[in-house]
This record gives sequence, C-alpha cells and structure tokens, in this order.
Amino acid sequence: MRWYDNSRIFPATLLAPVLIFFIVWNIIPLLWMVGLSFYYYSLVTGQPERFLGLDNFGDILNNFSVWNSFGNTFVWVIITIGVETTLGVLLGFLFWNSAKLPGRRLALTLLFSPMILAPASTGTFWRLIYDPTFGVINYLMGVFFGLRIDFLGNKDWAFAGVASVDIWMWTPFMVLITLAALGSVPKAELEAAEIDRLPWLKRLWYIILPHGRFILMLGILLRTIDSFKTMDLVYLLTKGGPGNTTELIAIDLWRKAWEGFTMGWSSALALLLLLTAIAFTSIYLYVLKLSAQRR
Amino acid sequence: MRINWRESLYHLLLWLVALVFFAPILWIVLGALKTKSQLLSVPPTWVFVPILDNIIDLFTRPNVTDYLRNSFMISASAVTIAIVVSYLAAYSFSRFKPRGTDFLMFLLLSVRMVPAAATVVPVYMMYIAFGWKDTWPGMILFYAMFSIPFSVWILKGFIDGVSPRYDETGLVNGGSRLHVLFKVVLPQVRPGLVAAFIFNLVFVWNEFLFNYIIGGRQTTMVPVSLFTWMYAQMGIDWSFVAALTTVYMIPPIAAVYFFQKYLLTGMTFGTIRGEV
Repeated sequence: MRWYDNSRIFPATLLAPVLIFFIVWNIIPLLWMVGLSFYYYSLVTGQPERFLGLDNFGDILNNFSVWNSFGNTFVWVIITIGVETTLGVLLGFLFWNSAKLPGRRLALTLLFSPMILAPASTGTFWRLIYDPTFGVINYLMGVFFGLRIDFLGNKDWAFAGVASVDIWMWTPFMVLITLAALGSVPKAELEAAEIDRLPWLKRLWYIILPHGRFILMLGILLRTIDSFKTMDLVYLLTKGGPGNTTELIAIDLWRKAWEGFTMGWSSALALLLLLTAIAFTSIYLYVLKLSAQRR
Repeated sequence: MRINWRESLYHLLLWLVALVFFAPILWIVLGALKTKSQLLSVPPTWVFVPILDNIIDLFTRPNVTDYLRNSFMISASAVTIAIVVSYLAAYSFSRFKPRGTDFLMFLLLSVRMVPAAATVVPVYMMYIAFGWKDTWPGMILFYAMFSIPFSVWILKGFIDGVSPRYDETGLVNGGSRLHVLFKVVLPQVRPGLVAAFIFNLVFVWNEFLFNYIIGGRQTTMVPVSLFTWMYAQMGIDWSFVAALTTVYMIPPIAAVYFFQKYLLTGMTFGTIRGEV
C-alpha cells in the first residue's frame, strides 16, 4: 500500500493546497485588515500609526456619506438584480426551444458577449455612447424624439444610466443560468406533462420550478454578491457623481483607501461590509437549504 | 415546401434579441475601423470604408506585445493552478466529507464577498511587506486564489454527480487512489472542468483593480495599460480605446463560441449529465 492509499492522510493531502492558498491569500490579509481597523494608518503622511480602539468604527457609523452610499448600494442591488433576473429568466424561457435556430451558437455567443468583455474597456466606451454631443444614443433620441439628455452628467438620469449598463452587461448571465436551470429539468417529466396537457402555470410550478430552482437561486446569489461590490463600472462611468447620486459603498471605500490613503479607516469599513455580506449570504443559504428540504 | 411562419418569426425574434445585446459591442468594433473624425462625427457615420490604421497604431506602441503576453500567461497559469487544486479539494469534499465541509465551502465563497477595493488594501500591504508586489508569482497566485472558490463549487457539484461506485470498482480492481482520481473520475467531470476554466479565465483576463494596485511594470495586463494610454492631448483617445477593446475581445469571444456547450452544462453545477 502506498502512502496516498492511507484513508486518513489522503483526504487531508487533497485539501492541503486549497487550504494553504486560503490561509496565505485570505486569512492573513483578513487578519491584517482586522488589525489595521483599530489604527489610524495613512500611507502618505508618514506619521506613525496610532492605536484608536474602536474609533474608526464609531466614525463610520456616524458618517453621513457612508450611510448615503449604503442606501445607494441597497437600491442599486435591488434594481439591477431585480431587472436582470426578470429579464434574464424571460429571455431564458424564450431561448429554451431554440435548438433549431439557424446559427444558434453564434447567436448565443453574441448574446453572452457583454459579460465576457473587460468592464474596464466597455465601461469606458459607454461614456462615448452616452455622450450628449458625440454619442449615438443621443443622436438617435434627437432624431426620433427630439430629446437630448446628458445621461451621466444629469443628477436625475445618472443612476438609471449606470444601472442600464450594468443590466446590459449582466442580464446575459441570468439568461445563461436560466438555460442551465431549464436544461436540468428531466425531459421525461416534461413530455408526460405535454401528454397530460397540463396547463402552463402548473407545468411551471410542479415540474420546472422544483428542478430548476436550485441553479437559479445559486445564480442569483452569485450575482447579488457581485452587485453588492460593484465598483469599476460605476467608477469608470461617473466616478460616483454627479453629486453623490451614484456613489456606491465600494466606490466610497476605494476613494478613502486609494485617494485618501487612510488605510485604517477603510479597513474598518471593509470589515463591516464583509460582516454584512456574510450575514446576508448565510440567511440566503439557510433559506435555500430549508426550501430544498421541504421539497 | 411549406414555410413554417411561426417558427421563422420565432427565430427572427431570437436573433433580434441577440443583436440588441451585441449592438454596443458592434459599435465599438465599427469605431475601431473608422478614422478618428468619423468616430466623433455628428451625425454618426453609418457607412464608411473600413481602415486598419487604429489597429496598426495599437501595435506600434511600445510594450503592447509584452502586455498581451502578460495577459495570456498570467490568466492561463493562474486558472490552471486554480483548477488543479480545486479539483483535488472538490474530490476530497465530495468523497470523504471531512468535518466542517459545509462551513469550509461557505468560507471559500466569502472570498468573493468583500469588495475588491477592500481586499486589495491588506493584500497590497502584505505584498509590500513580503516583496511580492509586481512579481509574476505574486500576481499569478493571487488570481489563482481568486479563481478557487467558484471552481470548487462547480467541481464539487459535478463530482457529487459521479457515483462513488466508480471509485469503489476502481479500487477493488487494484487501481490506486491516484488512478481513481485522474483516470476514473476526472474524465467524467470534463464539462465542469472546462466550464470552470473558461469562466475564471474570462474573469482574470478582464480583471483590472488588483492588477492596477499589486501589479507593476513587469506584470501589467492589457486592461490596466488601457488606462495609462488612453489620455491624449485632446482628452480620451476614443479610436485607441475602440481598437484595444476590439483586439482584446477576440480570445474570450472565441472561447465562448467554441466551448459554449460546456458553459451551459457547467452552470448546472453537475445536476445533470449530457448536453443542455
């Protein structure tokens, strides 16, 4: 018997690489972050770090701009995830029976293309598309409706303008998830329903949902986590402006850390965000598990 | 032959949807093939003679091939490492269910929960302290860590779908555990492996923030170079942005075109076998 056939060592050996990765690139930075959050520490002033205790946390909780960004982020997650899920599921159903579509592979590639391009470059280019003078959208609106809107510079439109780009970018992901979820429904049960002439709503409720729900919920979870920390797209389009209408919490954090270089303060905020995310995800997974058991 | 109007209409609709999503990207590609004045003309130029000047200009810039090579090497090696270690861990989680499996799986997912702007602060300080900033291993291993959680989740689902009887049969017939791991189970989870590979590859390929902060001269990838180059005397050089985006999108689009069926099966997290 070779060493790796030992049933006690083998599972641990398999896990070891991931655990090492996890400890070096996640636990150590995390502890570092926790430590920093109790200090005043700036990268630029050259002052020695100063122990503050819980002052950073107190400052964050009393900070109006943080609460404002939190509120914006909340609205952002609800709107983008809501629209992306609804639209994605609808389009997913639309594409369900597309096996005979001529050039299906190409059509799906084009459909998925927004999410596989670098947000850094597409985000930048959307500024030109939205531009009030040179942008194609404003030109088309001018021709058809006689309107001209500075989508990214106008306080009333900036949020919608940025959210639209996010929706354009990530709805395809929800289509992909829906297609996968629908694909996991056994063909035999669907055929049986077809023969029994089960009404559409019942098919949805009794056959499609129980099988496809898990994948769909997991997809929504992944998207929600990503949406909660959206940063580069918004930063590229509006930098959080005009005013603070599109200031999301991740942008706030970026600004404090890499424009203000107050590392201690931003670590404290990061810690609070991590705890929020963990709390939400645990509740979500708990509910997901409960509903899976009830079935 | 009778034309099925309903079906044709349905297909037309599907193509329209796909094209609506593709339209902004098409606009970028067209922009790359226009002259600078055509790109910014009002009203927009719809019909024009395509030129390759912008693309050629792109490749005459210093270091552009270095950045492209960095993008290729860093993303490919990071994801390869991630997939290998994730496969081993997923197998262990799936077959031996060590104590705390659920908790560990959840903990892994939490890696992706912190906003990048936050993770990057301590990682940056750690990299400075250890002297890993702007080194290839530093960049590659960091991205590998970032690709692990999703890969473990996908692969565990797929391995769960392979009956443990295969393992038992292999062991009983005198195969070693490594034989079971790589020759019996691995071939059966290929769609999961490919899906995890493509998804993470696209992610690392496009990543900007971490490369910007913990990378440097030696490890700059294309999205970061876009930023250092895009400002010309007259503001943003849009032709350049369009050309770079167009060139850079070719590999991920090709990957999605050629491995599409794996992406669809991959997202089922192994709950079904066969094609979607």
